[in-house]
Amino acid sequence: MRPASPGTGAREALGPLAWCCAGVCLLVLAVAVLGPPLAPGSPTEQVGPPFAGPGAGLPLGTDFLGRDLAARLLHGGWVVLALAVGATALATLLGAGGGIWLGLAAGRGGEIVMRAVDLLAVFPPLLLMLLLATGAPAGDLAVLVAVGLAATPFSLRVTRAATRRVAATGYVLTARARGDGWTAVVRYDVLPNIAGTVLADAGIRFVAAVHLTATAGFLGLGRGAPDANWGRMIRENLPGAALNPLPVLLPAALLAAFAVAVNLLADRVAERVAGLDTSGSDG
Amino acid sequence: MEPLARRTLLRSGLLAAATAVAGPALLTGCGSGGDSSAPTGAGPRRGGTLRAAFTGAGAGETLNHFVGGTALDMVRARALHATLGDLDPSAPDGVRYGVLETIEVDEELSAYTLRLRRGLTFSDGSPLTARDVLWSLSSPADDPASLPVYRNPASTFDFGGARVEDDHTLVLPTRAPLADGRMVLCQGNYLVLKENSDFSPGTATSGPFRLEEFAPGEGCLLTRNEAFSHPEADEAPYLDGLELRSLPDSDARAAALTGGQVDLAHDLSPVTARTLRGDERFTVTSTDPPYVSGLFFRMNLAHEPFRDPRVRTAFKLAADREAMVESVFFGDATVGNDLLGPGFPDYADEIEQRPFDPDRARRLLREAGAEGMRVTLTTGPETPGMVEVATLYVENLVAVGVEATLEELPAGQLFADYPAYARLPLAASFSVPTPALPLYQMSYGARNPAALGWDRPDVDELVATARGTSGEESARAGLAAQRTLWEEGNTIAPVFKPFTTAHVPGVAGVADDLFEQFPGFSRATLS
Amino acid sequence: MSWSLFLLRRLAALVPTLAALSVLVFGATELLPGDAVGAVAGPDATEAERAAVRERLGLDDDPVTRYLRWAGGAVRGDLGTAYTGGRAVHELIASRLPHSLLLAGLALAVTVPLSIALGLWAGSRAGRRADRAVSTGVLLVAGLPEFVTATALWWLLAGELGLLPRVSLVPLGGSPLDTPEILVLPALTLAATGVAVGTRLVRSASAEAVASPWIEAARLRGVGGARLAVRHVLPGALAPATQAFGLITGALVGGAIVVETVYGYPGIGLELQQAVAHRDIPLVQGIALVLCAATLATVLLADLAARALDPRRGSLR
Repeated sequence: MRPASPGTGAREALGPLAWCCAGVCLLVLAVAVLGPPLAPGSPTEQVGPPFAGPGAGLPLGTDFLGRDLAARLLHGGWVVLALAVGATALATLLGAGGGIWLGLAAGRGGEIVMRAVDLLAVFPPLLLMLLLATGAPAGDLAVLVAVGLAATPFSLRVTRAATRRVAATGYVLTARARGDGWTAVVRYDVLPNIAGTVLADAGIRFVAAVHLTATAGFLGLGRGAPDANWGRMIRENLPGAALNPLPVLLPAALLAAFAVAVNLLADRVAERVAGLDTSGSDG
Repeated sequence: MEPLARRTLLRSGLLAAATAVAGPALLTGCGSGGDSSAPTGAGPRRGGTLRAAFTGAGAGETLNHFVGGTALDMVRARALHATLGDLDPSAPDGVRYGVLETIEVDEELSAYTLRLRRGLTFSDGSPLTARDVLWSLSSPADDPASLPVYRNPASTFDFGGARVEDDHTLVLPTRAPLADGRMVLCQGNYLVLKENSDFSPGTATSGPFRLEEFAPGEGCLLTRNEAFSHPEADEAPYLDGLELRSLPDSDARAAALTGGQVDLAHDLSPVTARTLRGDERFTVTSTDPPYVSGLFFRMNLAHEPFRDPRVRTAFKLAADREAMVESVFFGDATVGNDLLGPGFPDYADEIEQRPFDPDRARRLLREAGAEGMRVTLTTGPETPGMVEVATLYVENLVAVGVEATLEELPAGQLFADYPAYARLPLAASFSVPTPALPLYQMSYGARNPAALGWDRPDVDELVATARGTSGEESARAGLAAQRTLWEEGNTIAPVFKPFTTAHVPGVAGVADDLFEQFPGFSRATLS
Repeated sequence: MSWSLFLLRRLAALVPTLAALSVLVFGATELLPGDAVGAVAGPDATEAERAAVRERLGLDDDPVTRYLRWAGGAVRGDLGTAYTGGRAVHELIASRLPHSLLLAGLALAVTVPLSIALGLWAGSRAGRRADRAVSTGVLLVAGLPEFVTATALWWLLAGELGLLPRVSLVPLGGSPLDTPEILVLPALTLAATGVAVGTRLVRSASAEAVASPWIEAARLRGVGGARLAVRHVLPGALAPATQAFGLITGALVGGAIVVETVYGYPGIGLELQQAVAHRDIPLVQGIALVLCAATLATVLLADLAARALDPRRGSLR
């Protein structure tokens, strides 16, 4: 849509803020990934009265059904992040594949496909998710697919633009003239040159994916009770926030810290890689 | 009858003395609005517009309550239209009549004669006649979109053979001998509309209020219907107006109450109710049986292990009912006995309460060779507490050695695909307050798909006998049917939850309307 | 390309786009499990009653026939009948859409000037401390999921401080504008995200403009400060920024679903949520189609504005 904007003055080192963000990201990731194996108790077993405050054996108190909040927090990040990672991977694979092809293929066929891709971009991501996720019972997969599909058009656009830039340099023409097949061209000439852009873009898509998967949990889409899910925990425990605010505050804080840190980090990385367009990441 | 008590105290000049003795506790009991509401003359305080929030259905709401099944639809309809009558366990007939004076039944239990009160009119001044009553009862059966509860009278009464003897007398023949016809007609749902009503906002109505403004999905504004004649309270309704708000989310209803945007919030989630109970600015009331909703699970008899009665009994014994009542409802619910309709006259409360006995459950499962059986319980957030109770029940099952898992469907999906629902091995559901035996015939007997495989003509026969006879014979058959259900049935009904309403202390007289699951305002006051 | 030709081409392109979107909407709702019978006939319906409902709703036809019937109706402005209450879908949408448009309009009215001011200010100082402060702050807000922002604002402003109504109840028989206070929280939430995204885009467009030779030339002539920003940087940055606002407006559609749900504001987003919960398929389809059309329209409007504002009057792509 717009020419890639060079991030003026962004060529310095990552800076302390970025390292700080990286630290926060790693910390939240560690909670999400190491949480389930390390959690001391069951996330579904009832261990006390609902919304009990912190006490002996229950460092953070209990949730709305009297389950151990600490155990639920440790179990609840995995699904949000795994879905976001999965959706990003899906979007990046589809986007990179399609983008490279469209970047190299000239002519009307490519134009028509591009129009179709734009079509998908018009679909508000949350609407897509609402339609798909309500259609699939207990559908974490539906959430993943919806989030992935919503992000694909943007990924595809970025990859296509990058591929075109590479194709215009003459490398590709030379290689083709040498008699290299398309696979070889993509593998040796295109991919190495666009890898940075694609990865940086994946970072931006990841931010949007975290937002959307958390929102899905909040709206009650995807796999339901009794699984823990940070987005869902906020919704479930909101009515009892006056009795024990921790079941709302902690998942919200973890989600917010992670989303904000990833966003800042992705922005820095994107600027360094290619002055990428970071728009269109919010749904 | 708190206002009455206060009035008595005031009149006899005892309030000052009582305050001196009882101290501030009594003052709090009187509510913050005590001074302004202190009625000086006779009757309750008149005037004011009460604002209340209920679950609605969004922009698709209509004034046709025959097709709209939300709480708001029912409450609005009961404010606009006069009731035939309501269940009242303390009344001689078991019902309190609205537009009716009496209902008489003949010796053979084959015809019911409804006699209307004289001088009743609609809001446009036209008389309310027996023809209007007949149309109100019979017309929903012709519309396939009508809710089952409104189509039901047609399966009990033969409206084709109904006779309007004069403006005040309607004779309804029954399709089979029926002893509890009064209870069927006076459940509180059956209201009187003008014959051939088109449900448009301008239609004449017969209830305590008239429609002023209707904004589908947002709410409606009603004003007092001066033409309404309350069967017991001459002066009623006391309110000038009524603003009913449509809010789908229980938390939003509570927030509207705490934020001062409404005076009364209906059907609160257990947690919200608990939070509000701690807030002295509000009064939280919960309905008692029979006005309670059962949260139950049904075992599918097509699912092999459940064919063994020992497994079914084990599943019933495994439920820790007290714990569910305590942790989901903070104690504000009733333990269920695996039978629906507690509190109604036909409910068999002489059957002993099923204990929580995980050891025996484990033993029974072992005997039946069903140890470690796998089963998935499917539920959905269809009513507050439903998912929570299911979550705890699955933990109970795991505790007795069943490999149980929970599947929660998104809102609205559980009953959307009914054939799929009928195939679930273990499915959650909920009941609305309905007498036990009619409920059995409506949704359980005669191989109803909702019964998930329950097929017992002998029990169907017993229920039919109980409803078709009276006295000792009826009672014996009803008890026998429910005894069999309790022993061999495929329903686990661990909890009956009340409908919880919170309001500002100035609201009074709502419970006087009976049919308590849906607050009525014909005798409500606001101060 | 002349204006009329441009407009004609863009409008002509809308038709197949909308048609294709309608296929997507219909296809996605087809995936909903079960059918409408459960929703319409009620759980206690008999087999015969269910069959009658299937017949009445034409559910026994194949999907293509049903799609054509639906799309054919949509062209004539008839989106079918909602299952709940049996009212015409287009009427329901017409009663809800203005509320959401009002909200989006308010959010935009806050977003656009604020984003331009902040973005221009930061972009003119690209790389300096002010720029970094704004950019980081904006990234912080943009990083928060909307429901977190909404819940936090609600808790603070309506809950703890009690400054604003907790639920956005529209006065009965009136318009939301009769009680403007109910609009503050939802509009603020939407605007928070909007400003965050908008500022970033304006900032990068301004930074780009600042680096261009004609700004350099203006600087050499001695133009500086606010004058340079408003007279020289802004025109160059405005066209790309306008398209960005098109994007933001699209995001408002998604945001509305969350925000209206949190605040109980009776707009199209809340209606969609309820329609989905009630399995009211015609209503879901109708709302989804209208939302897609609205998004398309904003993209087109943004493109038109960008073209009008583009100092070079060049091609748009």
